[in-house]
Amino acid sequence: MDTTAKPQYDNGVVQYLTVGAVAFLVLGTFMGTFAAAQLAWPALNFDIAEITFARLRVMHTNTVIYAFGGMTLMATAFYTVQRTNGVKLWSNAMAWWTAILFTIGLLAVVVTISLGMTTGKEYHEQEWPLAIAIAVVWTLYTFNFMMTIASRNKETHPNVYVSNWFFMGMMIAITYLYVVNGLAIPVSLFRSYSLFSGVQDAMIQWWWGHNAVGFFLTAGFLAIMYYFVPKQAQRPIYSYRLSVIHFWALMFGYVWLGAHHLQYTALPDWTGSLGAVISLAMIIPSWGGALNGMLTLSGAWDRLRTDYILRFLIIALAFYAMSTFEGPVMASKTVNALSHYTDWTIGHVHSGALGWVAMVSIGALYHMVMKLWNTEMYSMKLINFHFWLATIGTVFYIVAMWVSGIMQGLMWRAYDEYGTLAYTFAESVAAMHPYYAMRALGGLLFFSGAAVMLYNVVMTIRMANAKSTSQVEAHA
Amino acid sequence: MSNLEQHLGTDWSAMTGQDWAGLIITVLVFFGMLITFWLTLRPSKRKELEEEKYKILKDD
Ligand code: HEM
Repeated sequence: MDTTAKPQYDNGVVQYLTVGAVAFLVLGTFMGTFAAAQLAWPALNFDIAEITFARLRVMHTNTVIYAFGGMTLMATAFYTVQRTNGVKLWSNAMAWWTAILFTIGLLAVVVTISLGMTTGKEYHEQEWPLAIAIAVVWTLYTFNFMMTIASRNKETHPNVYVSNWFFMGMMIAITYLYVVNGLAIPVSLFRSYSLFSGVQDAMIQWWWGHNAVGFFLTAGFLAIMYYFVPKQAQRPIYSYRLSVIHFWALMFGYVWLGAHHLQYTALPDWTGSLGAVISLAMIIPSWGGALNGMLTLSGAWDRLRTDYILRFLIIALAFYAMSTFEGPVMASKTVNALSHYTDWTIGHVHSGALGWVAMVSIGALYHMVMKLWNTEMYSMKLINFHFWLATIGTVFYIVAMWVSGIMQGLMWRAYDEYGTLAYTFAESVAAMHPYYAMRALGGLLFFSGAAVMLYNVVMTIRMANAKSTSQVEAHA
Repeated sequence: MSNLEQHLGTDWSAMTGQDWAGLIITVLVFFGMLITFWLTLRPSKRKELEEEKYKILKDD
């Protein structure tokens, strides 16, 4: 292929982040599968404190969300901002610093959690020195991204493409949410106490917690969707106007949802009702967005038969639509009374995390690998194989959790004719065993798919490097 | 007071500063959304906005 006519972009840092994201996907899903196996077969805790379920679970969430998800967001943001605005990064050096510090910071997070250092706040377990370091790195990332947009040629690029809006919305929201929820008083190098307590602590925690889902795991990955679906399909997004509405509705709406995590607690009842009502309203923009992505293919659905990367992107949208319907249903007080504290929540999380976040990321990562190394993939067949491993693994996982979650909910609330509970808690735990084994199998399939992807990506890069070396030698 | 009045009624004198702040933000967001819908969905804007979507297809 002729590369001379192409605009020159800063690709090195994006290449690093792309490979890093794939490696962290493998590591994170390995931890998830191991944690799932520990729940099914507790002997796998081996009485080693550093890898017991309690710690491994948090190592897993930090690795998949921040290391895999965060690196994917950095790679795609730096990749797309250059192309949609027709400029190089504002600072390539700053991007490299961001990428390297982010990697070191996250490895430190995983190690410190395994050593038992944690704030105990979900999705914000990092102790204060690491939390500050992450906030600084995030600010560098945000600043560089915005300055790149600002430095575009406004004659050739008067407007800013919608994927950039989603990225910016995520960056701004995550900055203030992470900082406010993290406000704490340090008492030693690795110990601090939150500035909030009691009901305020719960409220702030879930204001952050749900927005980590809404902005980090949704808005950021929608940015990916709005760029990579049209690019891979080679067709424009179905409706640009719908994407604008989608953006503003998410920005205005998401921040109100947090209280749906706190139904039937010490919080005032109306806050839970508000959370539930706005959750319901969010179905409209979410489905609008999912349809916008899917209808991009209208008239060209046959592409799905041959384009395996597009398959990842489109099935991700199907899971996005499904989990944004399931979430509001679970937010309603009636359903929440059954589903809360059960595995149904875990199933819902993973239909979003595996089905939406991981699938859309995988599609975008494959697309970028081919563009960045200017080559075809080492094996398209392996991508197809990966697709089926990931899809079947996800379905196994969520079906197992639906059954076990609903069963748990029903067992906990069942009582006999004398009004005493029909089952002990231990009985409900024992009843979960087959479903936990099924989830571990689903996880194993998903993890194997990730390992296949890493192999395929490494082989592709080696192939591309060998080709360019032989071309250089032929010229010499 | 009927049940409905009781349900929908507000004791305005009991509103705290935070209640007012929340109410005002909610109403502003509501109008913000209305304005956004209007600006985006006006038929006269259609051509200009929809043109944006073709640009990324030739960016590399
Ligand atoms: C092989 C794939 C995966 C497996 C087997 C797996 C397994 C698990 C397990 C066993 C838990 C703990 C559940 C419990 O406490 O009962 C968990 C929690 C969690 N995982 Fe995964 N996981 C996988 C992939 C992912 C990915 C890719 C993401 C995000 C992108 C993710 C996000 C989460 C989150 C957010 C939680 C916490 C859920 C909550 O607290 O409600 N997981 N996972």
